[in-house]
Amino acid sequence: MSRSAARSIAEYLRQLREVLAGEDPALIQDALYDAEEYLRAEIAAHPGKSEADVLEVIASTYGAPDEVAAAYRDTEAKVKAALQPPQPRVSSPPNAMRTFFGVFVDARAYLSLFYMLLALLTGILYFVFVVLGLSLSAGLAFLIIGVPFFLAFIAISRAISLGEGRLLEAVSGERMPRRPPHPGPPAGWWPRIGAMLSDARTWTTLAYLVVMLPLGVAYFCIAVTGISLGVSCTIAPIVDALQRLGLVRADVSVYGASMPYWLTSPIGGVLLFIFGIVVLTTLMHVARGIGRMHARLAKALLAKPA
Amino acid sequence: MEDTDDSLRDEGARKFQKDLNGGLVSLVLLAVLEQSPEDLYGYEIAKRLQKAHAGEPLFKEGTVYPVLRALSASGLLTSRIVPSYSGPPRRYYRITDEGRRALRDWSRIWRQTRDFVDHFVSGVSS
Repeated sequence: MSRSAARSIAEYLRQLREVLAGEDPALIQDALYDAEEYLRAEIAAHPGKSEADVLEVIASTYGAPDEVAAAYRDTEAKVKAALQPPQPRVSSPPNAMRTFFGVFVDARAYLSLFYMLLALLTGILYFVFVVLGLSLSAGLAFLIIGVPFFLAFIAISRAISLGEGRLLEAVSGERMPRRPPHPGPPAGWWPRIGAMLSDARTWTTLAYLVVMLPLGVAYFCIAVTGISLGVSCTIAPIVDALQRLGLVRADVSVYGASMPYWLTSPIGGVLLFIFGIVVLTTLMHVARGIGRMHARLAKALLAKPA
Repeated sequence: MEDTDDSLRDEGARKFQKDLNGGLVSLVLLAVLEQSPEDLYGYEIAKRLQKAHAGEPLFKEGTVYPVLRALSASGLLTSRIVPSYSGPPRRYYRITDEGRRALRDWSRIWRQTRDFVDHFVSGVSS
């Protein structure tokens, strides 16, 4: 409590940012947004008082920056613990097999795989949105509707980036912003456009939405190739074995004509089955890794640096 | 010497109050939003809480916001952003069905706890 009481909103927010230094950028963004909302509402509620007068009593109503920061840290720790999917319990010391196959009980691996399949669709949508929005903004810039059109385009891109962040937090557990950055005090069209154009985050968000297309295509291909190869190699020997036992109609072979003969033998079938399981397990590991990596990329481009 | 004793006692009382507030703020926020016919935003909720209690506030209004966000993240509240002409855009909160169920459960637990604690504490002079 050694610092002097803030005399303006900007100073209070600076102090709050200072005591939160080192915390997750997304948490800092949320805390600053909340504080600014409260402080501006408090000043609007006391039209007779100056900003400095209102700020003078803020430590006893809203709380001093230290107290507010502590509240966010405490709550964050609890929420994080509550939202974490239960970790599979490993009673004996981990061995290589358990580490390798343990991925099948990790909810995040499945979510990541789902995200990889979804990424093709969202990638195409984001790409079309950005290209259309940028070219129409440029084309309409000379008309009166060009300005509101551009503002709406940027606003929607921010909403998308927030939604994408929530999705990725579910997939990877990486903390993402839960609020958009505060737009600041109400201002006219031109200052707002100036602020948007000079905000690096506007451009990194658009870059992210564009990059999602090639990434989405790659993710989708990896997921589909892995799933089809893994599932077919696992299932085919089982069906073949059932046919040999006469439990399933055997007039069509599950193996194609181009299959090497030794692979269609019972021993080949076992090898094929093991290969399929290994492919599926590797795919799950790859999916979990991609989920984590992608979340980090998204955080670097979408969350405002502290 | 007496001064330091007093400030130590204050410190202890504050810490006790803070520990007590942990889950109770969540319970009170759910109750406020359940009883409100319309959606409320953070500042409005904080002011309602302060008005309901005369004297020294039980908790700082700034501690309400992270709890609102945590309740929202766990699905007990939903929220939407509404632009405001007099200031920054506001986030309005509404209780969900899951939130109502949690409120019922938590209220029952609260009443049991209160009765249990009162059973021992009611004889103590303040």
